[in-house]
Amino acid sequence: MTPASDRPKGTPVPPAVKQQSVKQEREAQRQAKVAAFKQAQKRKNRNKRIGVWAAVVGGVAVIAVLVTSVVLTLPKNATYSGGGTGTGTDIAGVALFENTSEHVEGTVDYPQNPPAGGPHNQYWLNCGIYTEEQVDENAVHSLEHGAIWVTYDPSISDAELTKLKELLPKTYVVLSPQSDLPSPIVLSGWNSQLQVNNASDARIADFFEEFWKSNNVPEPGAACTGAIDGPGKV
Amino acid sequence: MTANSSIGDAGVDPVDDDVTDEELAAFDAERSSDGSSRTRVVIAAMAVVAIVVAAVIGFSVGRLSTLGHPIPTTESAEAGFSRDMQVHHNQGVELAMLIRDRTDSVDVRTLAYDIATTQAQQSGQLYDWLVQWGLPQNSRQPDMTWMTLPTLAGATGHAHGGGDPASTGSHTPGDPMPGLATPGQIAWLTAADGPEAERVFLTLMIAHHQGAIEMAEALEPRTTNAAALSFAKAVIASQEAEIDLMTGMLDDRGGPVALAD
Repeated sequence: MTPASDRPKGTPVPPAVKQQSVKQEREAQRQAKVAAFKQAQKRKNRNKRIGVWAAVVGGVAVIAVLVTSVVLTLPKNATYSGGGTGTGTDIAGVALFENTSEHVEGTVDYPQNPPAGGPHNQYWLNCGIYTEEQVDENAVHSLEHGAIWVTYDPSISDAELTKLKELLPKTYVVLSPQSDLPSPIVLSGWNSQLQVNNASDARIADFFEEFWKSNNVPEPGAACTGAIDGPGKV
Repeated sequence: MTANSSIGDAGVDPVDDDVTDEELAAFDAERSSDGSSRTRVVIAAMAVVAIVVAAVIGFSVGRLSTLGHPIPTTESAEAGFSRDMQVHHNQGVELAMLIRDRTDSVDVRTLAYDIATTQAQQSGQLYDWLVQWGLPQNSRQPDMTWMTLPTLAGATGHAHGGGDPASTGSHTPGDPMPGLATPGQIAWLTAADGPEAERVFLTLMIAHHQGAIEMAEALEPRTTNAAALSFAKAVIASQEAEIDLMTGMLDDRGGPVALAD
């Protein structure tokens, strides 16, 4: 790019002194430009380095905050399918039904034994411990209010019955003997049922956790007192 | 610079000593141009980064802010209170409905109406807390276990004898709830009629309210849950006022009856 090389042939060569000073001037200009360039390059490199480090540190910090906030607030594993689903499908042997809930007079032919929902008498059976068989149509009304009806074969031992009583919540439970049961002990809620052979069965507690005062009965929270006491109430 | 290169040197050009004319020309061109298109790209990139960072921080703050208000667990004081107070309140409804059927006194019948509707509504609130918290209505722990939990200030509920029931409740898991009427006492009220039934009811309900206040006072130092705290406060205030009212009504009727178990 030196202008000298572009000069057409035959043009007089300028005096050496003058040429020298132009050369020097150009060289000085170039040096100044090189110095500026180097300085700019240094500055650019420094800025780039700062930028890269800031991006790395900032990125790591943002990811750390994100991970921390998610990990700390992960939902805890529920021990119960709860929240009103009340399906109990994780409890082995639970049977589920779909029954209607109208009030009727007289006897009802229930599809389940013992009944686990369906048409029922206007008077619900007050919850509690009974030593005699109860009227289905009254007990079913208690199921509609969220109670669990625990029926046992009268032939089970006293020790077994005592053990069973210890497993029961203090309210919203009817306990009564019943003949012709499909198993020694049957737990019935509204549209749910579990048959067990003895009071040591761990599924009894699971059943109460899932279905006692369930949100899926037609009238959760309605009373299990204040109506009628059946025969043999303790 | 290249000698100690590291992650921070990524994309950094080494500063060379032999600068070529091409580099200088490019440098000149860069200095003379206004660089507006490049600036726009940089600003756009920074805006995107700022939006992403703001979104992440907003999300994180939102998530972390829930840590101060954790959803109660199944063995928490809040859940235990919700279960036991439902039992307590449901009996309050039962007693109030019993007396309404056994007296013509407008004063007592209106009080009973007030108690029954209030406690039925509150029982429903407690029921729904458990539903909303995803907790079962039934606990595998004995009743009243929550009242033996240490308070948030660290006092345990096991200490027996004297002291403030709010922080040192003298309860044992599985004990009957304070103020709960026994089956025999309910049978007595059920069999009674007229003025006698009123006296039995008022005597039982004063004790019932005192028990509920004890339970509410036991909840207060064991929770930071806003709904639970305002519930406890409401129970204490309204039931203390009703105890005063019932004490006056009972005095007018000859005072409390002696209760057997």
